[in-house]
Amino acid sequence: MLIQVLNGIAYGGLLYLLAVGLVLIFGLREIVNFAHGALFMLGSYIGFSIAAVFNFWLGLAGSLVAMTVIGIFLDAAVLRPLRKHDHMVTVLVTFGILLVLEAFATAVWGKSFRSMSAPDLLSGTVQIAGEPFPVYRLFVIGVSLCVAAGLTAWLRFSRVGLYVRASSVDPTTTAILGVDTDRLSLIVVGLGTGLAGLSGVVAAPLMALSPTMGNYILIESFIVVVVGGLGSFSGALAAALLIGQIHNFGAIYLPWASTMLPFLLMVGVLIWRPTGFAGKRT
Amino acid sequence: MSIGESQLGGVGVRMAQQRYSWIFGLAALALVLGIAAPHLIASLLWMSLLTQAVVDMMLATSVGILVRQNGRISFGQAAFFGLGAYTFGVIAAREIASPELALLAGLVLPTVVAFLLGLVIARIPGVAHAMLTLAVGQALYEVAFKWRALANGDDGMSVRMPDTIFGIDSDVFQSPATMLVICWSLLVLMLLALSLMARSPFGQLTEVIRENDERARFIGYGTTLPRAIIYGVSAFIAATAGILQTLYDGYISPQMLHWSASGMAMIMAIVGGPRILWGPALGAFVLFFFKDIAGDATEYWPALVGGTLIAVTLFLPEGFAGLIIRLTSRAVRRIKGERP
Repeated sequence: MLIQVLNGIAYGGLLYLLAVGLVLIFGLREIVNFAHGALFMLGSYIGFSIAAVFNFWLGLAGSLVAMTVIGIFLDAAVLRPLRKHDHMVTVLVTFGILLVLEAFATAVWGKSFRSMSAPDLLSGTVQIAGEPFPVYRLFVIGVSLCVAAGLTAWLRFSRVGLYVRASSVDPTTTAILGVDTDRLSLIVVGLGTGLAGLSGVVAAPLMALSPTMGNYILIESFIVVVVGGLGSFSGALAAALLIGQIHNFGAIYLPWASTMLPFLLMVGVLIWRPTGFAGKRT
Repeated sequence: MSIGESQLGGVGVRMAQQRYSWIFGLAALALVLGIAAPHLIASLLWMSLLTQAVVDMMLATSVGILVRQNGRISFGQAAFFGLGAYTFGVIAAREIASPELALLAGLVLPTVVAFLLGLVIARIPGVAHAMLTLAVGQALYEVAFKWRALANGDDGMSVRMPDTIFGIDSDVFQSPATMLVICWSLLVLMLLALSLMARSPFGQLTEVIRENDERARFIGYGTTLPRAIIYGVSAFIAATAGILQTLYDGYISPQMLHWSASGMAMIMAIVGGPRILWGPALGAFVLFFFKDIAGDATEYWPALVGGTLIAVTLFLPEGFAGLIIRLTSRAVRRIKGERP
């Protein structure tokens, strides 16, 4: 039982890493980034390639840095020029980016599945409540908790964090009050994309790498973002942990319906509260 | 308005008749062209491609009508396409009911589901709406994917056609030369019906609601029901396209419901220009052949489609149809000797 709860937390943690990136980008740019799953996939492949030459840890760090740079580029080259357009237009453009990135990954790494192994330090199992549990999943839980704690502290106690929180309530008023939201957006989209890269590498030993690996987890993290409330950081954490448990216990007790449960939850929550658990905006 | 109607009623009616006759004339021309097409096109391959293109055009039109009359972006339109195809395919293949009833059920079920769903989700705007439709679509996809007893899950199921449907030999639906005429005629009739609907008081009301839901309510209109009706109309068109594809291919698979299919339909509608009635169909036509040609040349065609989408949304916000209208009106003005 405890093992199953931990499995759910590990998956929920991964979802959180992706969903929080979506929330960050939504807060500043008011768009939902359909390319986020493809960025997750790209980060995974970058980590895979670096790890193949050097080691897992360099792959992790390299992917984080590379994806942060790509995120900054994405904001400066795509999202900023589009900020005056209808937000749905920008969403469609990110859908186009998704298609381009998938084709790019197919061209570079091929269509066949690749697998990436966990580093020696984290392979093997430990005994928890008398049952074996993979060390690597504990590592996944640790990483997501550290990111959650770090991000919360940053948002809560730093000046930039204050600006980010203000923007995710109302970007226009924040800009009027003298915050340079364009510069802020560079940081935030870079950070969000970097987190997508980080979670890509962290998830890589748990799943097979393929150009479409990001699609399913993207949709689940959409559900997390919507259920948690668009633009809400704490809502995203709560929803990610909830969906992680539903995903895991659903697979055990309701295998035929497990993949549908998150969708049903989302439909139910949106009908009950169109803005999600903690959200104020639509 | 009421004064104008009483004083100038005769003129108004005559003008309206002129305007409508223009539309009917265009539709008749399109129908004749479609009936003549099999005699003009020699290649069977081209006719087959055109038939598939017309099915895509229908699906894109169903996405477009949701944007045009409701101002809503749907990322789950393939759900109704697939629901129509599955309802018809499963009932017909398992001989639960006569193929005629299966066809009707395939049209009615998606329409009713969309209407009921519309009652609930019509009030959710923007990005949340896009994601909700995505979730509904993926939930249906998961059902088709997981439920092997229904239609072989992921493998899909071939649907053996009954000998006749509505007294028509089912070979008619499987041969490109006749199917092209059927699909094209249905598409033309749908566009005609939609353009008449858009000009009707109901169509005007949906546009008012699209522009400002709150003010429409202030002046005393209920806004949920008209929106839900548009969802139903849109799903009806998508389901028709799904049934036509099933009749033609004799095959259903969960890919018909997948969100990438919804996304592609959305791209086709946006690239064509959803503000203009025939824009989405034009976008589907262009992208279908673009995909076909690019697919021959490179396996990375999604990148080209994605690139086109980015370029069109940035540089042609009104889509291909908007570009054509702008160019023709400029040409007309030049012919008339006015300054552009």
